[in-house]
Amino acid sequence: MSFGKVFKSSVGVKPSSHLYGLDDDIFDDRSVSEQPAEFSNSHIDVKSQKDSLIKLAHGTTTLAFKFKNGIIVATDSRATSGNIIASQTVKKVIEINPYLLGTMAGGAADCSYWERELGRRCRLYELANKERISVAAASKLLSNMVYSYKGMGLSMGTMICGWDKKGPGLFYVDSEGQRLRGDLFSVGSGSTFAYGILDTGYKYDLETADAIELARRAIYHATHRDAYSGGYIRMYHIKEEGWEFIGLEDVGELYYKYAEESK
Amino acid sequence: MSTEIQNAAKSHAGRWEPYVDNGGTSLAIAGPDFCIIASDTRQSEGYSINTRYDSKVHQITDKVLFATSGYSADGKKLAENIKIQAEKYLDKNDKIIQAPSIAQMTSIIMYQKRFFPYYVFPILAGLDGEGKGCVFSYDPVGNMERVGFQVYGSASALIQPFLDNQVGLKHQENVDKNRTLSKQEAFDLAIDSFTSATERDIYTGDYLEIYTVDSTGIHKEVRTLKFD
Amino acid sequence: MSSSLLLSKKNSDVTENGTYKHTTSPIVTGTSVLALKYKDGVMMASDCLASYGSLARFRNVRRLQPIGTHTILGASGEISDFQFIQNQFEGLMLKEHVEDGQKLETSSIYRYLSNVMYGRRSKVDPLWNKYIVAGVEPSKNNNIFLGFVDLYGTTYQSSVMATGFGAHIALPIMRKYAEPRADSLTEEEASKILDDCMRVLYYRDARSFNKIQKAKVTAQGVEISEPYSLSTNWDFAESIIGYGS
Repeated sequence: MSFGKVFKSSVGVKPSSHLYGLDDDIFDDRSVSEQPAEFSNSHIDVKSQKDSLIKLAHGTTTLAFKFKNGIIVATDSRATSGNIIASQTVKKVIEINPYLLGTMAGGAADCSYWERELGRRCRLYELANKERISVAAASKLLSNMVYSYKGMGLSMGTMICGWDKKGPGLFYVDSEGQRLRGDLFSVGSGSTFAYGILDTGYKYDLETADAIELARRAIYHATHRDAYSGGYIRMYHIKEEGWEFIGLEDVGELYYKYAEESK
Repeated sequence: MSTEIQNAAKSHAGRWEPYVDNGGTSLAIAGPDFCIIASDTRQSEGYSINTRYDSKVHQITDKVLFATSGYSADGKKLAENIKIQAEKYLDKNDKIIQAPSIAQMTSIIMYQKRFFPYYVFPILAGLDGEGKGCVFSYDPVGNMERVGFQVYGSASALIQPFLDNQVGLKHQENVDKNRTLSKQEAFDLAIDSFTSATERDIYTGDYLEIYTVDSTGIHKEVRTLKFD
Repeated sequence: MSSSLLLSKKNSDVTENGTYKHTTSPIVTGTSVLALKYKDGVMMASDCLASYGSLARFRNVRRLQPIGTHTILGASGEISDFQFIQNQFEGLMLKEHVEDGQKLETSSIYRYLSNVMYGRRSKVDPLWNKYIVAGVEPSKNNNIFLGFVDLYGTTYQSSVMATGFGAHIALPIMRKYAEPRADSLTEEEASKILDDCMRVLYYRDARSFNKIQKAKVTAQGVEISEPYSLSTNWDFAESIIGYGS
């Protein structure tokens, strides 16, 4: 049996290039299909290997937690490739539809591509079933899509957040195939710092303003201690009517605010 | 089965590298109703200069240009593929594809090769549907961001901080943050960026192609840089 | 079943376990090819040696190939891959002639070759060559064309170019004497510059050979010389002290 065939049969989902009128057979290029994981792992930087040729943007702090008035989602905005800050203005919250948000950690392109694809499938679900998809089902769609590429070098750590019939929904999904339901998550290189703040200040009964301040502080302290996080804090509040954008705040300016407080 | 894997792994051990870095730098600055796109024309391989004039800026439509850097052959093929799709769009819809649509399409075209990427750092720039200047930048697998200005390539670490200061007005005090650059200012910044980068980056030099895109169309100018 | 499917795949050696064997290094190789534009067209030079490592294995190999009426293809690198390309072009030119009654011109030939080279590198199974394509295009007001493509599919056009060791030793000479005067250079001057470059290469490139060919393309068509030798003078070698001796 050929190697190429072994791989091909193991692939479940392919990027739906035909939908965009693009050539479909580029994706399962033979040279790559022989040893997809080996090739992409040696050439593409998904885990900060300094010597790999193709360095992709990554490094992040993201968080989301449930509380009595819904869900707060917050992220930083820095992308690094190697030692270079590739961007300070990355939008790490992906607006899948008016009720669903996805966060971005790991490979930026992996997150945005697959969450866009998730958005398309959620819309198809609505059309077929005359009702919105649940957060659980949406996160499982994403999980199954990336799971079919397991071991091939995808890098994605995301939180799928939304509001459905059962109320607020929050799931962690990653490219290793893990999918978890939970009340509080933080993902990325700065997540440990964010957890430190979140765990000390978190209560389910937090008022909305306090919940937002907790998220802000958590991201802020992560950007302070994690060199791979920084830029701007982007925050969203998910309510029954859908998500609402709270704002974008410069980390540099927050420093003076918190310095003033601690005096 | 396990021997198959071992043999395959062995045949991959001394594998040929299918990528080269041909150097070069590309830059784009968006204005309120114009866009500046500039690229040097040196093509290198290691310490050798292949040619002093190899264009890295490709025209996609009458309002949109595509500037590359990195692996030249991939850059040319990617530009060709985008152009093919833009022409297909015209044939199907009887209207010219607009910048944001090309931008999303470029992202998808690049992600198609996620497991064997184009080793290219592209910048798509021009005028959007409303006639505003726009710049889209990508990583090699198609992660896209709309930005105000972008530099990619061998001298990106030299020029980007300069533009952060001069165009993004970062770390300037007592400055009107709403101030926008004039066409001439942006044009002059592009030239100064490249003349300075040429002094410190061995892969940038020879000639500079500068394109100005505005409501009157695309205007190209070629300047000389240093040949050393 | 699956093995017959695999065997039908062109240009690949399939091993018993179903993996592919690709070229990981060249075996029989040709060294530099030089080319420059001049007043009436374009001129190219290469030697007639095919080396097997450091062994001068085949000493009468022609590495300048006419394609159609107004194009020459110069090859360095793996000779067997060059022969494969020669075969491809023989078929292509015949097919174009029979089907369309057309002869492909230089830029089309160059584009075809570039796509073949990039296509093979994209299969991670490269044709291990650096090619120079030169010609004059009668349908484009006798436009003089000179283009390069290598195993990576990297392409560029220039008025002077050289592959291999020539890119280090001959190219600076051509850039000094030929490039600034590409429009006014006479055939005699162009010929002398190439001879001088080939001589210098023969002095310093250990994989070169003093049996060379020169080719030119003008509006009148292709002319390829018979192999000839250059006069040499090794007196300078006496005075070399240090690394060179």
